[in-house]
Amino acid sequence: MAIFLARSGRQAHIVPMPAVTTPSVLLWALLAACATALGAVPEWLRGRPSPAIMAWARALAAGLMLGVAHMLLAYGLDGHLVQGAVGALLGIGSVRLIHALTGTGELDLESDGTANTTGGNRVILAEVMHAAHEGVAIGAALLVSLPLGISMVVALGIHNVPEGMATIAALTGRGVRLRRATVLALAARLDQVLLASVTFAAGGAVPALLPWMVGFSSGALAYLVLVDLLPAAYRNAGRTSIAVVTMVALAMVVLLTGTPS
Amino acid sequence: MNQVLLVFLYALLTAVATGLGALPFLFVRTVSGTVVAHTNALAAGLMLGASFGLVGEGTRHGQVQTVAGGLLGVLFILAAQRFLSRREEGAVVIEAGRGKGAQRMLLVLVVMTVHSFAEGVAVGVSFGGGITLATLITVAIAVHNVPEGVAITAVLRPQGVSIARCAAWSVFSSLPQPLMAVPAFLFVDAFRTALPWGLGFAAGAMIFMVLVELLPQALDEGRRAAVGSLAAAAAVGMALFQQAL
Repeated sequence: MAIFLARSGRQAHIVPMPAVTTPSVLLWALLAACATALGAVPEWLRGRPSPAIMAWARALAAGLMLGVAHMLLAYGLDGHLVQGAVGALLGIGSVRLIHALTGTGELDLESDGTANTTGGNRVILAEVMHAAHEGVAIGAALLVSLPLGISMVVALGIHNVPEGMATIAALTGRGVRLRRATVLALAARLDQVLLASVTFAAGGAVPALLPWMVGFSSGALAYLVLVDLLPAAYRNAGRTSIAVVTMVALAMVVLLTGTPS
Repeated sequence: MNQVLLVFLYALLTAVATGLGALPFLFVRTVSGTVVAHTNALAAGLMLGASFGLVGEGTRHGQVQTVAGGLLGVLFILAAQRFLSRREEGAVVIEAGRGKGAQRMLLVLVVMTVHSFAEGVAVGVSFGGGITLATLITVAIAVHNVPEGVAITAVLRPQGVSIARCAAWSVFSSLPQPLMAVPAFLFVDAFRTALPWGLGFAAGAMIFMVLVELLPQALDEGRRAAVGSLAAAAAVGMALFQQAL
């Protein structure tokens, strides 16, 4: 059972922390995934967001994801740097492979305004892939510690809102109705829940796997930011505004996650 | 040896080490658009990774101060860009570069020089912990400076700057280290308070520079997969390298 020291006034006391179990990991990951549905609210209220707003949404998601990748590396390796490095290369390689197999490598995540079923399917595929690596990150973070895991869940939950908004808008722009697009965007996140649980269970059973998982998810998330989210953002808004929004998101993660121990 | 002179020499050593970052480019013969994209991606990744290290170090001394310093770093780059963009096209000349290329070189040099101020403070402050700690910190910063020299050369070399001059500019960008180390050693308490601000400032300026110049340019000139792989691998590698130190 994890414990931490808390200060109350001048007196320090030990506060027992609840143990993290695989069912609780499933619930935490489900909470983060369900935040995706909030991405439909702007379109439901005011219609399809403009390309610039979608670009800023992707920049916000990118900054949060980059911050998550950094925090995992900073807190999660416990000195196992070689495993983390090799895991990161495997993470980058896995995304490249999936991109190549699914044809999503040079995908334009935004819509050209015409109904395009193939493009819509690939948008969903891209989101499934993003969600998978985020699930590994959640599972790995909860294995490291509950506070880090909660920070990851909150950061990725917040990140799921703008990413959900951009995904839903990309689908409605390809002729999918809003309700169906929301359901599809949520469904694309289910692997996040599954992989978080599997990662946690596997890492709990074989602790030596943890630095590999941390490296894998960090490398994959950093790669996805650089090759999917930011290029899509740069295409539809000015570089400066994208950089500012990404930095704000990074700062949020730094403030949320706290200081390294 | 006089303690102040020792501090200066240690910090000078870290500055000189930055010049070693130019050496790998002895093996790069042609400078095509793809090479420029890849070197910019490499520089972007190294600078991102270095910034994460600065943020990690800064938050140990003050989380809010580090983030506030980062905001100031962003404002500094915005102001520098606005200043440079008001010059006539082609008016910015540095080495063999003109116009946008020269602007990018200048921004990278400015950012890396600013970042060296914070590292110089770190060397000076570390002497307060004894000669063993100071030696460890100096070696760590010297080794860490080599990939920073790579990042600087990666931006300068494609603009036609010679290897020797790339090395010289890299060392120049680190000269604030010995210059700041001495006052930081003499006035440790004051500089310790300013350290998270300085580290945050350097990190904010560097990350913003990556997002607004290096990465978009690399994505424009090169294939996404190659640019993303290089930048991600370099960022993770640099972050882990700093942890190892």
